[in-house]
Amino acid sequence: MSLPHPLLRALAGAAALALLATPALAKEWTKVVIATEGAYAPYNLHAPDGKLIGFEIDLANDLCARVKLTCEFVAQDWDGIIPGLNAGKYDAIMDGMSITAKRLEVINFSRAYTRSPTTFAVEKTSPLAHMPDTGKRVSLDDKAATEAAIKELTPALKGKIIGVQIATIQADLLNTYFKGVVEIRTYKTTEEHDLDLAAGRVDAALASTSYFVSTLSKPGGDKLVLAGPLFTGGLLGQGTGVGLRKSDPELKELFDRAISEAIADGTIRTLSLKWFKTDISPPPSS
Amino acid sequence: MDLGGYFTLIGFGPTGWGDQLLAAALMTLAVSASAFFASLAFGLVGAAAKLAPSAPLRWLAEAYTTIFRGVPDLLVIYLFYFGGSQALSALGHLFGHAGFLGLNAFMVGTLAVGLVAGAYQTEVIRGAYFAIPPGEIEAARAVGMGRLLMLRRITGPRALRFALPGMGNVWQQVLKESALISVTGLAEILREIHIGAGSTHLPFDFYVTGFFLYLALTTLSGFLFRGAEAWTMRAERRPA
Repeated sequence: MSLPHPLLRALAGAAALALLATPALAKEWTKVVIATEGAYAPYNLHAPDGKLIGFEIDLANDLCARVKLTCEFVAQDWDGIIPGLNAGKYDAIMDGMSITAKRLEVINFSRAYTRSPTTFAVEKTSPLAHMPDTGKRVSLDDKAATEAAIKELTPALKGKIIGVQIATIQADLLNTYFKGVVEIRTYKTTEEHDLDLAAGRVDAALASTSYFVSTLSKPGGDKLVLAGPLFTGGLLGQGTGVGLRKSDPELKELFDRAISEAIADGTIRTLSLKWFKTDISPPPSS
Repeated sequence: MDLGGYFTLIGFGPTGWGDQLLAAALMTLAVSASAFFASLAFGLVGAAAKLAPSAPLRWLAEAYTTIFRGVPDLLVIYLFYFGGSQALSALGHLFGHAGFLGLNAFMVGTLAVGLVAGAYQTEVIRGAYFAIPPGEIEAARAVGMGRLLMLRRITGPRALRFALPGMGNVWQQVLKESALISVTGLAEILREIHIGAGSTHLPFDFYVTGFFLYLALTTLSGFLFRGAEAWTMRAERRPA
């Protein structure tokens, strides 16, 4: 590092000394601030009285108790939630955020605490309701199976308009496998594509099944049905994990240990059934 | 949309979002008001610089209005909120502060919206100054008024009268642009609407509520500005 000005160099030296004087090199974590959207039911949402509730709130309380951390949530918009972490506004993200190769370039993740497949939601009356491979699990890690599924889906989806939340793994899936086949329409939030699906402005929406389960249980949800294969793996990542700064390996260790325990003793399964009505806990070995 | 259910949803009962929405409306009002006052300060300084005899001052003011009228508000908010805290923290590290330094969402919102609105305010005030009939200023000079006395008695009150309608427009603009501050997580109307829609999966109910909340705020403040205009016009004769 070359600093141009002698005064700056002196200041940097003083700063380095100050850092050396505090023996906090391996950081001892006691308090963690976790960012969440508070608007992504049932992962995280607000109760009418303004309290944060949801699967991830319950889970965080459990995880933090396991490793003796005091955890505090802050509500943050999805846009800019990663820059906020790296800028140091909070220490962790729990917002139904999928672990992907792209995100791993800028932040670190704990091991996965949920693994929910991605699929389409369509209107019951739509011809797409009988899409090929409906309900079949397709792992994008399996190249042959993926190609076969895409080949079967392509004629059914040709020219259709698919709504998807912007900057998500689902958007990546469409861009990678269905570009030029379907018309991709991106939305800021998932409920915006739900609205357009209900309005008939898009033919299908693509999101995680855990999200759609709650959509289907809400007013108007009885007109919708899930269709197409249940995609996992590959660019969809390894599930959702706690987003962490790369400079905090000690914190990752704590969360990894707590999550492994919570998977092993069935806590995540119990919480998943409570909030999602379906088990989306990851397999213990993953 | 069933109406009874809707009023329970946005009402003040145990399952109602009323108190959250009210708090959000007050937050919108608070952040808009402080951004508006910030814009007045920026606008006054900007207009004074644009009317100054010194060329570098005029160029600076010109650069300010060109830049902040020419870039989207949202970009300015992002720049201050995420970029600002990164810059501040880096500066802090240089001086041995290891933690996080940053402006809070309210401050960033006030500053970002205030700076952009201030650029418009500059033009409003400058335009108002030029609307003063030159004869009045000449008359003030002729009776020997100094610059400050002239500002207090003649140019200040006269320019305010001409500026008020324009300032009313800037206020409405600030009130609506305060919605952009929702990206920082500040619990103002739009953010609360988004939280409510995402938490209940009832987006239509919440968006309609937001519509009426903003409309109520802009309409009510519109009355206030009209009242203020009438007050400054009280000695004017208008063509019938």
